[in-house]
Amino acid sequence: MNWKKHFLEAATLIVAAVVCALVSNAVASRERKLAVVSPTSGGQPPTAVRPTPQRQTPQPPTPAPDSGGPLSSTQAPPATVKPEPATKKPTTENRQPTTAFNPHPDKPYIEIHGDDVAALHKKGVLFLDARRTSVYEQGHIPGARPFSVWESDIDEKVNKLFAERSDPRDQNLPIVIYCSGGDCEDSHMLAQKLWGIQFNNVYVYKDGFPDWQKRGQPVHTGPNP
Amino acid sequence: MKWLAHPWLTIRVQIALGVIFVAAALPKIVDPPSFAHMIYNYKLVPWSAINLMALVMPWIELLCGLALILGIWTGTARTIIAALLLAFVAAISINLLRGNAIDCGCFDVTAAGKTTEERLADMRLVILRDAGMLLMVAQLWYASRSAGSQPARAA
Repeated sequence: MNWKKHFLEAATLIVAAVVCALVSNAVASRERKLAVVSPTSGGQPPTAVRPTPQRQTPQPPTPAPDSGGPLSSTQAPPATVKPEPATKKPTTENRQPTTAFNPHPDKPYIEIHGDDVAALHKKGVLFLDARRTSVYEQGHIPGARPFSVWESDIDEKVNKLFAERSDPRDQNLPIVIYCSGGDCEDSHMLAQKLWGIQFNNVYVYKDGFPDWQKRGQPVHTGPNP
Repeated sequence: MKWLAHPWLTIRVQIALGVIFVAAALPKIVDPPSFAHMIYNYKLVPWSAINLMALVMPWIELLCGLALILGIWTGTARTIIAALLLAFVAAISINLLRGNAIDCGCFDVTAAGKTTEERLADMRLVILRDAGMLLMVAQLWYASRSAGSQPARAA
């Protein structure tokens, strides 16, 4: 067996594959593009670049409203109900509806369920859809913005959101993130990302979009929220 | 065992294996972010390598598949394919042992919405399917060795 010949052929095939991959990625549409090198820190999804604004010392939390009306950063604080820890796994039996959605700067997200999600949706809270944009377009929660953690423009979107909510009080407004429920981790990844840039009041819709549909809630289709 | 090294069989196995790898590569090339997601689900690859792997691996599969179909550099292509298959079997087996039910992302990179039990059953089937493809590689290797040794015997 001619090892040198084999090695050269293998190297050529691999180099050709790398070149093809880089070229096809360069010409790919925004939704199908990947950053060549993923972030190296743990807990970060493999996306384009780590968000530039890094977490600093958390600001004193400004509680978010707990009832009625559109949310604003100037509303009075709600009743103090301590949110469940992110690690707790609620079951049908022990699940309690969350009556207040206070900022929780000590943890990236709190998992919530359908009733809480519906209540927050009614209040006009910002919803982010962490699924792929193509899936988002097939149906999403009305008002939700597409924020797929697997697409190359995620950091751009996150930074834009940060710019929109640069006031620390705005960063304490609730944000609900969802994906496909079950073992889908995309919403958790996005929540980590948002927490990493100072968003202190992020909720993950544990059962995700399938649960929303099961509950007969309204669904929007198409590329717009 | 002469039939095992017969060119009639060898050419068909070679083309079939090539077609399988081309078919497996295309969905991944079309949608690298979904394939990156699949790789992430295996929980075996470091963060920093996931995207690069998602971009390059499908092209390696495609080029090796094409090489087998076209009969170019077949020895090298089948060696790379054997290495990939062994890596896939190892990755799926590790996740089976962990009880981490995942979509294999072999021919389809969209989440199938299956239950945990269905995924675990699929993973066992994937191991069997990959073992079958490894047998195809073994046949190609055996045929190539037989063809290579024939002139020596004749001499």
